[in-house]
Amino acid sequence: MEVSENHDPHASSLPGVLGVVDTIVSRLESVLLAAGVLLMALNTVANVVGRFLLQHSLFFTEELNRILIILITFAGISYAARQGRHIRMSALYDALPPAVRKPLMVLIAAVTALAMFALCYYSVGYITKVANSGRVLPALQVPVYWIFLWVPVGFFMTGLQYGFTAIKNLVSHDIYLSTQVLEGYDDDELEV
Amino acid sequence: MALTIFLIMVALLLLGFPMMIPLLAATFVGFFMMFGNFDKMDFMVQQIMAGIRPASLIAVPMFILAADIMTRGQSANRLIDMVMKFIGHIKGGLAVSTASACTLFGAVSGSTQATVVAVGSPLRPRMLQAGYKDSFVLALIINASDIAFLIPPSIGMIIYGVVSSTSIAELFIAGIGPGLLLLILFSAYSIIYATIKDVPTEPKASWTERWQSVRMAIWPLGFPVIIVGGIYGGVFSPTEAAAVCVLYAAILEFVIFRSLKPADMYTIAKSTGLITAVVFILVGAGAAFSWVISFAEVPQQILATVGVADMGPKGVLAVISIAFFIGCMFVDPIVVILILVPIFAPVVKDVGLDPVLVGTIITLQVAIGSATPPFGCDIFTAIAIFKRPYIEVIRGIFPFTVILLAVSAALIFFPQIALFLRDLAFR
Repeated sequence: MEVSENHDPHASSLPGVLGVVDTIVSRLESVLLAAGVLLMALNTVANVVGRFLLQHSLFFTEELNRILIILITFAGISYAARQGRHIRMSALYDALPPAVRKPLMVLIAAVTALAMFALCYYSVGYITKVANSGRVLPALQVPVYWIFLWVPVGFFMTGLQYGFTAIKNLVSHDIYLSTQVLEGYDDDELEV
Repeated sequence: MALTIFLIMVALLLLGFPMMIPLLAATFVGFFMMFGNFDKMDFMVQQIMAGIRPASLIAVPMFILAADIMTRGQSANRLIDMVMKFIGHIKGGLAVSTASACTLFGAVSGSTQATVVAVGSPLRPRMLQAGYKDSFVLALIINASDIAFLIPPSIGMIIYGVVSSTSIAELFIAGIGPGLLLLILFSAYSIIYATIKDVPTEPKASWTERWQSVRMAIWPLGFPVIIVGGIYGGVFSPTEAAAVCVLYAAILEFVIFRSLKPADMYTIAKSTGLITAVVFILVGAGAAFSWVISFAEVPQQILATVGVADMGPKGVLAVISIAFFIGCMFVDPIVVILILVPIFAPVVKDVGLDPVLVGTIITLQVAIGSATPPFGCDIFTAIAIFKRPYIEVIRGIFPFTVILLAVSAALIFFPQIALFLRDLAFR
């Protein structure tokens, strides 16, 4: 994170058109994240204020928050993957020599990418099931499957990020935690 | 089946996979072993979505947001300053102030890492200057920050409450007693340490200065009133208290102190969103994992192997304590809560333990484990923030671990330490 915050945090390291698209997606994700959190705060605060001052809760607060938390989570996992911010137990990994860390990072990124693509696939199946059931959110009267449409997109984008990380580690000298973040240790400038 | 899943998880965790992968992989394998194919995998997605659905989880991003606003603003420093003015001059005063400031900041924020940053960063240089050894300072900051985990609000308690269907409001109130007990013991150790090492004392502040510092800190002191008072008095649910904290923090830092500009709100919201997403995908994956293992009756298998059923309530609490303590020595607390709470759920129910007491003990164990070598996650927070080597960070931790373990034992034998306030408020 420190590495990227000095530069443009959205600058993509991917070549050509792919890089332009990646930068746009990154900006979009961060706008969605911030907007999601701000809306959620506004919504929750308005509900409390309404309950105390006007003796009326907002009828849609809970459903809106449910929509927003899905938005935040699935825009956020991809953004976190991009910034190398997912929580991991790296103590053992860090103790390994670079020659072992590099292939291990390729494996980690590749397996994670596969898992994300699998979840993307299965979430499409889940959404189809919900859509066929015809359920609607009781207060907002919105079809329930709409609020899940983000889920496969988030999994897919996260999968792409990890996929790119695997490739980036294969083609470059250094070890990358994500497409944007180099491992944060002094010794990773070493030739591997 | 239990063994296969367990080995896969441990291997993936230790190799350094993102923590959602061990949880998801165990769920994948569990599904496959139960159904023999992957046809029912959309169930897994359904469980992930169900996991992040509970409305009470909204308190997590709200408390993170409030703490994020305050850490970047002036609230934390004003609180620290007030504590210093009152107790900075006694023997070991700087150390006691650090522990107290961590507790006070814990009453404002729900995360240990935020506390390490907000309190540790300004106070460590002052303690070093005053003649404390860095190993003591680092150990104190790491361990005292863990008090924040017990003092409401606490993100760990919210997650435990949701996973185990326990009242979060009761958990919050029950955490206060053990949290304050830890503060007292840490302070006592600090005073003994400063006396033995003969650390020079700080000049005493005049009553005018003290009064001045209280006036500066009076606004931030409103947070514990909102959270504890609001929940204790039954005015707010934890989620509502969190929302009010966000509003209050925003008014303080943007309007009253004018320490932040409206444009800062975007950065703060984005950073809160990022942390929220990272936690919530784990909560979702944890819910899917928990569903699979309960469906396959894995907890019953494991608990039968350990023979926990014949141990009685205190024995069960001891086993739970040890399991969480060891777990957190290796893995992030939230992941440990997500994995272990469903495993112990059946036995907690069988022996009739109070889930609030169990939650308090688990939160305490999680706090201890996070500060304990080899891999407690707070150690790595400290390494990252203070840029000190691992060995130096862990050198002074042992006395604190002893105090923490003593409090755990006390909590098992005298549950009233946690339940007294809870009973007063809710029974």
